[in-house]
Amino acid sequence: MNSNVAISVDNLGKQYKLIKGSTQHDTLMDHLTERFKSLVQRTGYHSTRQDVFWALRNASFEIEFGENVGIIGLNGAGKSTLLKILSRITEPTTGRARITGRIGALLEVGTGFHPELTGRENVYLYGTILGMSKAEINRKFDSIVDFAGVDNFIDTPVKRYSSGMYVRLAFAVAAHLEPEILLLDEVLSVGDVSFQRKCIEFAKDLQKANATILFVSHNMFSIKTMCKRVIYLKHGKVIFDGPTDIGIKYYEEDCRLSTIPWKDGKPEEWPIFIKEFDILDHDGHSKMVFNYGECIRLRLRYQAHQSIQTPNFIIAIARSDGVMCCNYSTETDGFVIEKIAGEGVIELYTPPLKLVSELYTIHVLVREKGFQKLLCAQVGSTFHVRDDLFNTHFGVFHEPASWSWNDEYSSAVSSGPLKQGPKYQLA
Amino acid sequence: MSADGYGSIHRRIIEIRPSKGIFMLDLQAVWQYRELLYFLVWRELKVRYKQAALGAGWAIIQPIFAVFIFTIVFGHFAKIPSDGIPYPLFALTAFLPWTYFSEALRRGTGGLVGDSELLRKIYFPRLIIPIAMVITPIVDLFVSLLVLAVLFGWYNLLPTWNAVYLPGFVLMAAILAFSAVLWLGPINVRFRDIQHILPFTIQVWMYASPIIYPLSMVPEKWQFYYSLNPMVGVIEGFRWSLLGTTAPNFEAIGISMGCVLLLLLCGLLYFKRMERFFADLI
Repeated sequence: MNSNVAISVDNLGKQYKLIKGSTQHDTLMDHLTERFKSLVQRTGYHSTRQDVFWALRNASFEIEFGENVGIIGLNGAGKSTLLKILSRITEPTTGRARITGRIGALLEVGTGFHPELTGRENVYLYGTILGMSKAEINRKFDSIVDFAGVDNFIDTPVKRYSSGMYVRLAFAVAAHLEPEILLLDEVLSVGDVSFQRKCIEFAKDLQKANATILFVSHNMFSIKTMCKRVIYLKHGKVIFDGPTDIGIKYYEEDCRLSTIPWKDGKPEEWPIFIKEFDILDHDGHSKMVFNYGECIRLRLRYQAHQSIQTPNFIIAIARSDGVMCCNYSTETDGFVIEKIAGEGVIELYTPPLKLVSELYTIHVLVREKGFQKLLCAQVGSTFHVRDDLFNTHFGVFHEPASWSWNDEYSSAVSSGPLKQGPKYQLA
Repeated sequence: MSADGYGSIHRRIIEIRPSKGIFMLDLQAVWQYRELLYFLVWRELKVRYKQAALGAGWAIIQPIFAVFIFTIVFGHFAKIPSDGIPYPLFALTAFLPWTYFSEALRRGTGGLVGDSELLRKIYFPRLIIPIAMVITPIVDLFVSLLVLAVLFGWYNLLPTWNAVYLPGFVLMAAILAFSAVLWLGPINVRFRDIQHILPFTIQVWMYASPIIYPLSMVPEKWQFYYSLNPMVGVIEGFRWSLLGTTAPNFEAIGISMGCVLLLLLCGLLYFKRMERFFADLI
């Protein structure tokens, strides 16, 4: 075996049993009655009631020391399962993996913090949970507190911390783990954008220190900046393993045609489905990253299997943490399409988009006459908005406003009783 | 990399594969994570008495109140005999090990579910949790021994020299609780019903142990079978070593502890078998 290999994965697979017709925490009573029934009826207990599915199947790859590899794939493709197996949280059903070196897994920052304990106490608790020794934490303690910037609150219970301080402290502990191999899951981490940025910075520092990083993300932008190589998972299988550019292309193609789960059936059987989806700039060039305030052109090519009277095309923009940001529909914009049948193209020209810098996903819905019956529901591709200042701390969107000013003292003298309060002027 | 010993532990090669053999206990991993064990016990203790004005004083107040009530209701009104020992002393010597045992059982059973976030997100030897939960209430036991000392002073009595055997009986209770928890904890991960059955079971078990009444009240011909309840051995052991009452039936203790050790061994194997699915089930 190559001695340069940090992670070697061979035929790894994880099977889950789906228990039909019951929730995960089914009661002991349910379990016993089922057993009893199957005894009486002499039917196979396991075969009738359980279905299996492979969250990960036949995954094989090798990662060398110092390599940074992105794991990409749609939701449910097996990315998190892979990371959970490699970090020994759950056991594989088949295959094996060999990891050489001190491993650090950041599947979620701050798990293990206890709200009642002080910052100092939690540093020790979380540190040991992550696998550091007490002596090691003693040594790094000042540096951790410094990194987190919570010096004044280190002896305050963390339940009184703001969520930002909480994450900063937790992350500071994790960042001091100094792993040789880092498993990083951006998807599972707290949806705080500033934290995600910290994650990337931290990973970049590790990169410089020649650490091996396995990075799961939906954010192709960070994957591109971090990794030369990606592993693309689809339905639990490794579909592609190679240069990032090519892998992302595959991923984006699949993104376009993926479906939102709440619409039943296969898209091909729907009355209408979206075959192609393009995100363009106003000149019609395909684009992934937009500046704040840029107009976006969305072009979708549909295939209608039957004629549809006055369809309503709805395009919604959702932020990566699930917040629905805006919604355009032909109905509300008064754009009437009388009837469609067969193939066609529809294009949306947005006004200057004032969304803050983040990752956004496009959802497409087609409804019959206004907001009636749902005919089609698909998730389109993603795009980024880039801005140096306006991020999610500033809100969902930013729009410049007008201001007016009055000196408090002089206005108090001139405009009578103060009770009326300050005057606001709308421009 | 740092040159400390801890770092080198993590630099070893980790093999991940489906576990096949049932006799892989991997107790070595538990030893490597002993500092986590320490911090988990410490967390449990800290959290329990945090934001309580009396803090650890509760470990003293609780047994005082319980024994006070026992003395009034069972000693005074019901006039339950206590083998010639002042009833408060009689009740407390049994109540202390019993409180430890029931607390260890309760915490140990709920421990895995209580730390479900950890189980889902971070690797560490899962056995650490039940071990920590069984160790934690020992600290309370030590604190509440102070109450016992005061009570001895009040009655102007001294414990017998047999008191040196006391740790042995505490260990017995700990092993019993740990063995039970190795089974109940994983079952509780799958079926939360256990959490509801447990308080009721603990109550029944308490009345099946000689806490408020003496062993001598049990009909003679049943006494041996009665003593097979391992907690009978623990409680009688406490009374024997502190108060100098009749020695517990060591034969019965031997048999019941033999069964407990078997339960412990099978429990360890069962726990190791089930821990693979904790993250998926919890």
